Amino acid sequence: MTELRFSGSTCQVEGELVPVAEIALAPQDGVYFEHHVLLWKDESVPLSSLKTSGPRRSLGGMPHIVSVANGPGRIAFSRDAAGELVVLPLHPGMELDVREHAFLLASHSIQYSFVRIKGLANALHGGNGMWMDRFVTSQQPGLLILHGNGNVLQRTLGAGEKILVEPGAFLYKDSSVTLQTQQIQLKTGMLGHHNMYLAEMTGPGRVGIQSMYVHHHSGE
Amino acid sequence: MNTYVCRFCRQPSDPSAPTCPLCGAPVDIRDSVSDSGWTKQPPIRDMAKLQFGQSHVQIAGTMVPIAEFNLAQQEMVYFSHHVLLWADPATRMQNMSMRGGWKRMMAGMPLIMLEAHGPGHIALSDNHAGEVIALPLQHGQSIWVKEHRFLTATGNIRYDWTSNDVWYVTGDDNDQETHYPMGQFGDVFTATDRPGLLLLHAPGNVFIRDLQQGQSLLIQPSSLVYRDNSVRVHLHLEYPRSQGFAFWRSFDYRNVFIRVTGPGRIAVQSIFERPEEMEMIRNHSYATRHRW
Repeated sequence: MTELRFSGSTCQVEGELVPVAEIALAPQDGVYFEHHVLLWKDESVPLSSLKTSGPRRSLGGMPHIVSVANGPGRIAFSRDAAGELVVLPLHPGMELDVREHAFLLASHSIQYSFVRIKGLANALHGGNGMWMDRFVTSQQPGLLILHGNGNVLQRTLGAGEKILVEPGAFLYKDSSVTLQTQQIQLKTGMLGHHNMYLAEMTGPGRVGIQSMYVHHHSGE
Repeated sequence: MNTYVCRFCRQPSDPSAPTCPLCGAPVDIRDSVSDSGWTKQPPIRDMAKLQFGQSHVQIAGTMVPIAEFNLAQQEMVYFSHHVLLWADPATRMQNMSMRGGWKRMMAGMPLIMLEAHGPGHIALSDNHAGEVIALPLQHGQSIWVKEHRFLTATGNIRYDWTSNDVWYVTGDDNDQETHYPMGQFGDVFTATDRPGLLLLHAPGNVFIRDLQQGQSLLIQPSSLVYRDNSVRVHLHLEYPRSQGFAFWRSFDYRNVFIRVTGPGRIAVQSIFERPEEMEMIRNHSYATRHRW
């Protein structure tokens, strides 16, 4: 069992197949999450909602309500697929972009927004949907926990360094890392041309990938 | 004299064995209880051997574990045909008597179930990444299990069903839908004549907790795997403080939980079904409510 601390609260992570994050919230602390990841909670833990531009999010396929739980009390979360929890402590002044539907919870001091993936080719062929969650810390540090399907690997890119990633495997990146869709043409003789799309990530910053994903279909 | 009681199956056990011979839980595992009182059910160790009657079952694998039975003469297990992995030709297989078929259907099991009679070998597995849970039951002991979690049981374990009585209705007059967030019925297994072994399969990881008399907890309805019969369950609806969603007439921002109240043991799995869409609830079974 792994134990983490943020602000006055503690988080215990347990489980190998589908890990559970159990939070003991201090009175002044809170976490936010998509409502369907809540596994159990004490009766005393109040729930409320985070203000988001709901309809716009719904159109993008993201849950239009983000729930908030405040302390004091205990609450636990898990997602619905075999994988790993990625614990990302965020220092003040950090920005992190996360694949939609991958975030499990974030502490109250982290600001939450979402960014539209720019470029039609990126949106249509990028395999990440149209939106990415963006988590920003200003003055206070915070704790962000993601759920990656399968195993999760991280690589730190130097300035200008590039890596091509299967779009479905992308999990998170520092906002300093840019994302562009690369089209790779595959010539198969009599069978004609096939196109494969990969996400080109350019540093500097961290890139996280997951080993289990829905394979992004290549187009002809 | 045997003084060791396994903390997972709650049966007297052999402290000199590496794993509990009745449920396969490691004997020497350190006490790993979270601050709130949950204990992770340890996965049954690969190739751990569980004894029942003159037969035994060996659990192989850790991702999607397989239960390999070595059945003695005169002993049998029953199961649903879709969990059968392999069998010795010597193992005699036949369909269960149709007597009790109604109960089987109501309990969420197939109408036609298979029996495997010893002597011989047979292996069973579910098809989700998860854990096999062994529940040895003493003579007369009974336990409630969520439907579709059943893997197999020894022949002396009788099954029955019970209505969960946890439901709610959404939709308008012409198009109403009844939801059963923890299933319409639950399975109840009881050991008759002598002790027996019940094997369940739960997707994800499993956590167990003991609730004291009157202690209650809110959990996702579909995450409950099993509970002692002494634990009471009912629907609980929570309405978080909303910020401007009320203008949607058909939209109902709420969380559907079940409230479990002790005394007794409960087990939850870390994979659970996503709650249904947030349509307005028109009617429901007995429920407690809270508006934040």
